[in-house]
Amino acid sequence: MRWYRADLHIHSVLSPCASLAMSPRAIVEAARSLGLDLIAICDHNAGENGTYARRLARGTPQILMGMEIQTAEEVEILALFPEEEPCLSLQEELYALLPPVPNDPELFGDQLVVDETDEILRAVPKLLLSPVPLSVEEVVRRVQDLGGLVIPAHVERVPGGLLAVLGLFPPGDWPAVEISPWAELEEVWARWPQVHGRQVFRSSDAHFPEEIGRAWTELYLDRPSFAELERALAGQGGRLIRPGPAWKEGKG
Amino acid sequence: MKLEEVAERLGLEFWVRADPEVEVRGGYVSDLLSDVLAHAEAGDLWITHQRHLNVVAVAKLRGVAGIVLARGLQPGPETLRRAQQEGVNLLTSPEDAFDTAGRLHRLLFP
Repeated sequence: MRWYRADLHIHSVLSPCASLAMSPRAIVEAARSLGLDLIAICDHNAGENGTYARRLARGTPQILMGMEIQTAEEVEILALFPEEEPCLSLQEELYALLPPVPNDPELFGDQLVVDETDEILRAVPKLLLSPVPLSVEEVVRRVQDLGGLVIPAHVERVPGGLLAVLGLFPPGDWPAVEISPWAELEEVWARWPQVHGRQVFRSSDAHFPEEIGRAWTELYLDRPSFAELERALAGQGGRLIRPGPAWKEGKG
Repeated sequence: MKLEEVAERLGLEFWVRADPEVEVRGGYVSDLLSDVLAHAEAGDLWITHQRHLNVVAVAKLRGVAGIVLARGLQPGPETLRRAQQEGVNLLTSPEDAFDTAGRLHRLLFP
């Protein structure tokens, strides 16, 4: 076993708020040049661009399928999957549930499905940056029923952080949390003592190419894979999860 | 002023009538539970759109006089059950948060 570097929360051009430069190809190339071993492309209520990034990367880096789901309470939850099918079927279910608000690209930005050759396949019509009418518990149940992992995103942050919005952990198991790129772990622990004893991830939450690599998580695993990540979350066999250092604004 | 009277004067509907005799001393309007935990005061009537069942725990921790869901929003079954178990007053207002808070303020601080 050894330490691997992971960034499990990167947005692509499928998120209206992310840069047009965040194509699957650009993300894979940035991840390679930064030496990331394991990444996930988590767009708002969508995961399709992960498919094309995986085709291109062919395991370097390893890419998990993922989404950042916005619940009815406006809490943001990362859902990670080992395979494409469960992620894409959940994406389809969530899309049907999204409010019928069309995306205005002038106002919110483009929502593009882009393949591994930088070809635009389609623009997604409904605004993805909306809450789905499912509670936190309903979202967690769906992700887990499909064999996925749940990590509440940037828990301390307003907007969207589970602890910021809901004040405390809802009933249920919450083995892991993600903190913001800039959050100091000591401060998170001081404000939210309930985070003690849980696994803590840090991710870049990159919306622009230059933000990839600003924050990461270190994983002590046999190899960078979904199954190994699952074992680490269960604390099995000496596997470890630790957040990388807090990103300081202006330090790139 | 007692919650019972506040509810009657503002047209609030009780969903959980745990302690209608509690004294309402002020109000607080927020949907962010971390903000309510940090800033709401005991005796406040808390007006919100947040319906997650954590509202009950937060209301109890802060000792607010009750939770008022604005704009006719109805509590889900889990939130309702939790409020009954914990003895937290839970009400709804047919009016939006602005009008509910405005009328409460005039009532308490004429």
